[in-house]
Amino acid sequence: MKLGKEEIQKLILAGLIVMGVVYSYFNLLLGPLGKRQEATRKSVTALGPEIAAAKAQIKRTDDVEKTAPASMETMRKVMAMIPEGSPVAWFPPRVGDFFKKQGLDKTSTRLNTELVEKEMVGFRRMTWAIDLPKVGFVPFATALAALENEEPLLEINTLQIDVSREEVEMQHALLTVSNIVKQ
Amino acid sequence: MALHLNLYHEVHKAKALKRRDPLKLSMYGLAAVVACFAGYYVLELVKLHSVNRELATVKAEFDKLEPLAKIARKREEDLQSQMKAGNLLVKRVESRFYWAPLLEQMMQVVPREVQVTRFAGDLTGDGLRRCSLSIDGLSAGTDPRKVAEDLRTAIAEKFSAKYKNVSSKFRSLEDGTEMIALDGKQVPTATFAINVDLYSGEEHVAAPPPRKKK
Repeated sequence: MKLGKEEIQKLILAGLIVMGVVYSYFNLLLGPLGKRQEATRKSVTALGPEIAAAKAQIKRTDDVEKTAPASMETMRKVMAMIPEGSPVAWFPPRVGDFFKKQGLDKTSTRLNTELVEKEMVGFRRMTWAIDLPKVGFVPFATALAALENEEPLLEINTLQIDVSREEVEMQHALLTVSNIVKQ
Repeated sequence: MALHLNLYHEVHKAKALKRRDPLKLSMYGLAAVVACFAGYYVLELVKLHSVNRELATVKAEFDKLEPLAKIARKREEDLQSQMKAGNLLVKRVESRFYWAPLLEQMMQVVPREVQVTRFAGDLTGDGLRRCSLSIDGLSAGTDPRKVAEDLRTAIAEKFSAKYKNVSSKFRSLEDGTEMIALDGKQVPTATFAINVDLYSGEEHVAAPPPRKKK
């Protein structure tokens, strides 16, 4: 079949229309739709791990809450051992009374330093100097053993015992102790 | 045989030409393609709608969980810090250095020929605790230096049974100028100063790095 000039022109026109339609379909309709779909899918995928992390966090907290009571009980016991109020008010009399009970009457306690415990939230460590100017060695050692047993939050950092110049039988003892108290 | 003449052949030809019009045929083809395209587009729209619905569901779930997770994280941090403080406190109480047993051991090793005039101890370190002792005194006897030396070795031996890396060294050992009465006899004296180092407890194991938070 031989095409005439007019028919060839029509065919070219039809071809151009087809090309225009295809171009518009893919670039103006299907393309953006695909992009939106892809973005939405990405959002769904991205939320998946976040949801899983949130669920895991809630579960982890539940687990921690289940194991916490045992530790909290220890904490409560420790807290009960620390009197309320400023340590400067209660610690020196407490030490004085303790040594008096042990038969060592002369005691003086003063605060040396005080620092916040960074690792133990809610607590601070106070360092005290305890001076016992006239003690017998054996009563002092006995009192020291009792002090270490009865005061678990107290630790002796330095200890100095000197022979008294006036009385050979007596010693002068100086302790530096650190005590954990509430913040 | 009858003669058949087509007097309308011009009309028929024109009709045939009209039927085979390439533009018309192309338009039919194009319409079919457009119909396919439209169908596919609708399909894709349905898919998008479904994905959007999925996103909305997931987002709603996330919006519900996120505040709960935040509260849970805060609560976990609080609990962990309280538990950590409690554990540290227990560890600190359990790893305390006790001086009374040390004084007891000291009493056991000092013989009657020795008078300790000064005893000083200093505790340093966490976990593995280092205790430095300084013991000054006076020894008496026919050989007061040997008495002091026996005391030094006795201290090292006695303390080694309970403590780690015990070292006992003389800081000074000098003959004394005075004589003292011991068991009714006048005997010479020596003054000494002994430094003792000993360790107690365990070295802290490094804590694992903190868990990364999102």
